[in-house]
Amino acid sequence: MFTEPFMQRALLAALFLSPLCALLGVFVTARRMAFFSDTISHGALAGIALGFWWGLSDPTVPMILFSLLVAGAILWLKENTELLTDTIMALLLSGSVSFGIMVLSLLKGYRGELHRFLFGDLLAVGSREVWTAAALLVVLGGVIFSRLSWLTLLTAHEEMAHVCGIPVRRVNYLFVVALTFTVALSIRLIGIMLVTSLLVIPAATARNLSRNLRQHLIFSVLAGLVGGVGGTLLAYQFDVPCGPMVVLTAIGLFLISLVAGRGRQKSRAI
Amino acid sequence: MVAPAGYNELAVEVHDVRVSLGGTPVLEGVDLHIPRGQIVALIGPNGAGKTTLLRCLLGLQKTDAGQIRLLGEDHLERALPRIGYVPQRLALERSFMLSVREFLALRLPETRHWFWQRKTRIDELLGAVVSELGVGGLLNWPVAQLSGGQLQRVLIAFSLLGRPELLLLDEPTAGVDTPGEQTFYEVIAEVHRRRHLTVVLVSHDLSMVFRHASWVYALNHVVCCEGSPEQVMNEESLKQAYGIQVSPYHHHHSHVH
Repeated sequence: MFTEPFMQRALLAALFLSPLCALLGVFVTARRMAFFSDTISHGALAGIALGFWWGLSDPTVPMILFSLLVAGAILWLKENTELLTDTIMALLLSGSVSFGIMVLSLLKGYRGELHRFLFGDLLAVGSREVWTAAALLVVLGGVIFSRLSWLTLLTAHEEMAHVCGIPVRRVNYLFVVALTFTVALSIRLIGIMLVTSLLVIPAATARNLSRNLRQHLIFSVLAGLVGGVGGTLLAYQFDVPCGPMVVLTAIGLFLISLVAGRGRQKSRAI
Repeated sequence: MVAPAGYNELAVEVHDVRVSLGGTPVLEGVDLHIPRGQIVALIGPNGAGKTTLLRCLLGLQKTDAGQIRLLGEDHLERALPRIGYVPQRLALERSFMLSVREFLALRLPETRHWFWQRKTRIDELLGAVVSELGVGGLLNWPVAQLSGGQLQRVLIAFSLLGRPELLLLDEPTAGVDTPGEQTFYEVIAEVHRRRHLTVVLVSHDLSMVFRHASWVYALNHVVCCEGSPEQVMNEESLKQAYGIQVSPYHHHHSHVH
């Protein structure tokens, strides 16, 4: 299994992306941004379709650009209109998915590709994506840990963060850009439909076992790694799509943490 | 206004501030002159613009017109490091396991890398503020699981770690029970006495304001009246501010809204 080049690439991508997703996931869930991430990932479908339309064999660049466009549109509409956030996101999610499917349906020979992007594919991860994921992990991991206090205070209370001298708007935009890149790159492996679960489930698993934020972050990264890498290995073993297997592995870990967390609470109560 | 003797420097100067939200005027030419070292209460009915005024002071709300000077500074950025702000609540998701120790560590430059620091080192750096506010026993608790009264003490401790000269509190006792409310105002009075801070608090609890504030502004889109609690808290002035009959002395926690 480990000698196959495509499998090596898929495992490396899981190794780099799943801890990053899990780390961001702690803040995504605390800031109620899960739907936001879902909208960004679905926005990628339109980018993928446009990439094929332009005849690109690898649509990664238009996919990231279109996700960034959707993220920018959400922020702009939130700041400049009185529309509810949920309305804005539902509008952009359904709009970009419809646009993407329309474009794909006009192209011949790409319909099979749609399934791969929706649910993730081990074979789809290219070496360029692996290196981009590694760079993303190093850069974003470094930035997040060096500015962890900013991000944490912003998550706790934006106005207090402003009073403490944190450039709230700038940090918010940077967080969205970081999230967009991570989500868009994870799509190849996990798929558009399921990529948000890579953010949400490890954070929820870690929540069951943690007493403070430090533990929450550490356990989330570990749960992400085990779910991501373990799920990828199992997908190969059983010859099934990668995304659903990763998600099921992560859910398995969540259930274990739920029981373990309850047990720990009871033993503390006694 | 006759400023109390001994104070010639102003902590807060607000001149003719006007704000409209969604086309509706909220502040229609507000003037405040708050001397240093006072506990000043902003009272008024809901929708009177108290919180909007506080947000203007903190630079969170743009003004349509008027000038604001805090701690003698024309530029808010220069005054901000010397200001403490205590919001009503944190609205923190219960899924976010931030502990009180970690939260307090966010305020100090020395503990900004709390993730890598030992608990004992963080406690050492947090220093006396923790015992001053009686939050030592809460350090391991998740912030999202604190009661209203506990959270308020933690929020004040957080603000005091920044060594502020001016403390701004927005309806600090909303969501706190009556005994907790009394303790809270006693804590504020004690902190004020020890640290000689200027405290500006938005409040709806007239009896607490009467007991602890040294100066009161009654606001209803404009400053309706101001003065010492004895001067302002009479039925005629309150009627002017609230537009209804309000009794300042028979207020047994029946909030005026």
